[in-house]
Amino acid sequence: MEIAIDKMEGIAVAAVPVDELDASNVGEFKRDIAPVLQANTRLVLDLSRLRFVDSSGLGAMLSCLRQLSAKSGDLKLCGMSKQVRGLFELVRMHRIFDIYGTKEEAVHAFSH
Amino acid sequence: MLSVTEGVETIRPPASADLVSSIQESIRRHARYSLGKAWSDLSSRELFNAVALSVRDRLVDRMLETEERYRRGLPKRINYLSIEFLIGQSLGNHLHNLGIRDAYRQALGQLGADLETVEECEEDAALGNGGLGRLAACFLDSFATLGIPACGYGINYEYGLFKQEIDSGYQKEKPDNWLAQSTPWEIPRPDDACLVPVYGRIEHGVDRAGAYNPMWMDWKVMVGTPHDMLISGYGGRTVNLLRLYAARSSRDFDMQIFNDGDYFKAVQQKIQSENISKVLYPSDAIVAGRELRLVQEYFLVACAIRDIVRGFEQHHESFRDFPAKVAIQLNDTHPSLAVAELMRILVDQKNLEWDEAWAITQATLGYTNHTLASEALEKWPVPLFESVLPRHLQIIYEINRRFLDRVSQAHPGDVERVRRMSIIEEATPKQVRMANLAMVGSHSINGVSRIHTELIKASLAPDFFQLFPERFNNKTNGITQRRWLLKANPAWADLISSTIGERWLTDLYQLRELESHAADAGFQAEFLRVKRSNKEKLARIIQDATRLKVDPDSLFDIQVKRMHAYKRQLLNVMHIIDEYLSLVEDGREPAVPRTYIFAGKAAPGYWLAKQIIKLIHNVGRVINNDARASQWIKVAFVPDYRVSLAEKIIPAADLSEQISTAGTEASGTGNMKLALNGAITIGTLDGANIEMLEEVGADNMFIFGLKTAELRAMREQKSYRPWEYYARNPRAKRVVDSFASNMFCSQEPDLFAWIFASVLDADDVYFHLADFIPYVEAQERAGRGFRDRNLWARMAILNVARMGKFSSDRTVAEYSREIWGVEGLTLLD
Repeated sequence: MEIAIDKMEGIAVAAVPVDELDASNVGEFKRDIAPVLQANTRLVLDLSRLRFVDSSGLGAMLSCLRQLSAKSGDLKLCGMSKQVRGLFELVRMHRIFDIYGTKEEAVHAFSH
Repeated sequence: MLSVTEGVETIRPPASADLVSSIQESIRRHARYSLGKAWSDLSSRELFNAVALSVRDRLVDRMLETEERYRRGLPKRINYLSIEFLIGQSLGNHLHNLGIRDAYRQALGQLGADLETVEECEEDAALGNGGLGRLAACFLDSFATLGIPACGYGINYEYGLFKQEIDSGYQKEKPDNWLAQSTPWEIPRPDDACLVPVYGRIEHGVDRAGAYNPMWMDWKVMVGTPHDMLISGYGGRTVNLLRLYAARSSRDFDMQIFNDGDYFKAVQQKIQSENISKVLYPSDAIVAGRELRLVQEYFLVACAIRDIVRGFEQHHESFRDFPAKVAIQLNDTHPSLAVAELMRILVDQKNLEWDEAWAITQATLGYTNHTLASEALEKWPVPLFESVLPRHLQIIYEINRRFLDRVSQAHPGDVERVRRMSIIEEATPKQVRMANLAMVGSHSINGVSRIHTELIKASLAPDFFQLFPERFNNKTNGITQRRWLLKANPAWADLISSTIGERWLTDLYQLRELESHAADAGFQAEFLRVKRSNKEKLARIIQDATRLKVDPDSLFDIQVKRMHAYKRQLLNVMHIIDEYLSLVEDGREPAVPRTYIFAGKAAPGYWLAKQIIKLIHNVGRVINNDARASQWIKVAFVPDYRVSLAEKIIPAADLSEQISTAGTEASGTGNMKLALNGAITIGTLDGANIEMLEEVGADNMFIFGLKTAELRAMREQKSYRPWEYYARNPRAKRVVDSFASNMFCSQEPDLFAWIFASVLDADDVYFHLADFIPYVEAQERAGRGFRDRNLWARMAILNVARMGKFSSDRTVAEYSREIWGVEGLTLLD
């Protein structure tokens, strides 16, 4: 899974490059996001392309948040579709992530 | 034009040539373009489909108009959640409701087809077991007729209630794959599909503000796809929806397993997901307690609540308005997970505070109880519940904690009361009590007949009644006269309409006007002629199905309903045996020749009920083949009882058997259907029989048997001694002894010996012997009554005239006014 990394105002922005993040590709996602998590403490995950995420995909994002929190960093999310937002709400994960409409808003939130 | 039905002439306006022509064009178009068939190649089934699709076009237009009307007026929406909807056939019902039946008859006639033959090609939609599911279907008809903005929510079972076949007197079940050939009535709505998570675990954590934040992780997800059935009201002004959800897996295959090379495991998982809506559970009186059933119930609730919330959010901003704009009625405990699901959505997803969410939930939900039988009260083991719905269990624990605090405050130190009222039963393993959950989470709790409601207050839930008496109310069941008279018995409907007009179709109390005709010899003769004709038709059905020839001039004594111990088909058989033995051993002839007609299905796992079916057949075989009895008694069991068969049996009944043990039948609705079709009831003071008695009067029913309070006293004092009845009465003894002999089971000795033991057991909770002699005496009164056909006709007509109360129009109007608060919001312009 080729995760494109963009730097905005010094903050890494990683775009999840799939339509569906589920048991079939979550292992690949975890493998490929690991070096990004190692190299950064503050990260924005851009979910604009994502249309469906299952519980294993949500678990992977939770793991990303925990890894960054463990080194006093943070993970912010942006670009969620209505359906993906609904899945976050379903499991109450919207309460532990900072969620923004655009990556600019998410990056901006890091500096304010 | 003069329409002649069975000799009864009523004046109907002719269908216009334009209408007839447009119907023909529509049927031909669907045959060609929807079915892809040349007219000359259509099978009967395909012709039915083409006709149904042409009717559906008209329904769709009305449905869109109805929805537009609702959208403009933004009335409160009623949502009726039921695990069963026993619809039956729809074509005839729609044609009546849209007022285009004659036009279709003409159109098809000119095309060389017969409307009734086309209607008979329709498979019953048997998405229900019995009374509860049929009540839901009658309510839908009444909602639409009254213009109430209501939607039914259910499951689109691929297999409806099993088909019953009889093999050597034994019931055999065959699958009812009613969707195998697809149905023209359903409109799939894949764009409105919703995701439903199940299983998983709770991960405890804190949110960004440091508050406790449980997260539901590792769930599996199902997809619920709605299929809409259109429900027409009489007059066709309103067409509402019944939204039935089918389950499918979230993806065609679990790709991980597929990628691992295990194709068959991937397919198996897909099948498991789709199993959720595969089959209707074949009992509404016994809880199977299976995991699939719990998932099924959650699937219904989750799909329905998501759809309801989505619809609300399209037009309203604040959830504070939710109870003012949405009512959700729970048809029994099966959908009572709605309490936890609505709380979960409001608290977890919509971020409402608990107290506000709870106030909204309670104000929105109403619960209808359907049974007092302990075996039918749903409970789920906590470990199973936790594995299927971990977040909901958390929510239920919190609801329970707060509720029991209230109970403790109201009754300090009363630990036993707290234990009784808890939603969680302290058993091993612990159980979630669904009825308690429904009662705690609803602002209204209703029974379905007056005595049933009183028994809920006094016996089933006295603690709850004491704590919040204002929630308890009664809504006596009803039936729709459009299906159970207009459609089922057109000749009788025509005779009524030509006598008093058609207002009874939307106001059943108008039947009172028949009272003045009850003593009219001419009207009686017409009534008897219609009845005779209906009996001839049933006699042909019996002969076709069982090869038994029955006499339409005999008294048709009919017991049609689910086979269950409490409904006491056994008591009926005991009387038949008594009458038979009195004839052949004592030489005492019955007052009149009788044909005893049974129909009903037994739950596949209910041994006792299946034995009673076998008993009926064996008793029938002996009596029907005994020349000494041939002119007096016949016993018939008509297989595969279903709505469309009920529509043929019920109009032919002279005597209606409603003989459940007092205090066991919540309401019954067969009693109402039979009386409306001119049958006289022989019955106990149970369920709605009591209110029927109040309406029609003791002179017009054959009431017998011990009352609920008397039976309760006998239970409490342990004073029921069946062997005393046995010893005291030689006729009772002779009947009971026949079960110990092989009189009715010479090929299978001792087959019915268990009945001998059962009715003589002091623990016979249905008190067969206590009621036996009073029942025999009531039957003798009925037999003597039938000798005078004019007197009988007068009684039957008075029964019909006084059935006004038992329309489901009256019932849903009461729900609307007293539970949902939607009076005056009907037929919005």
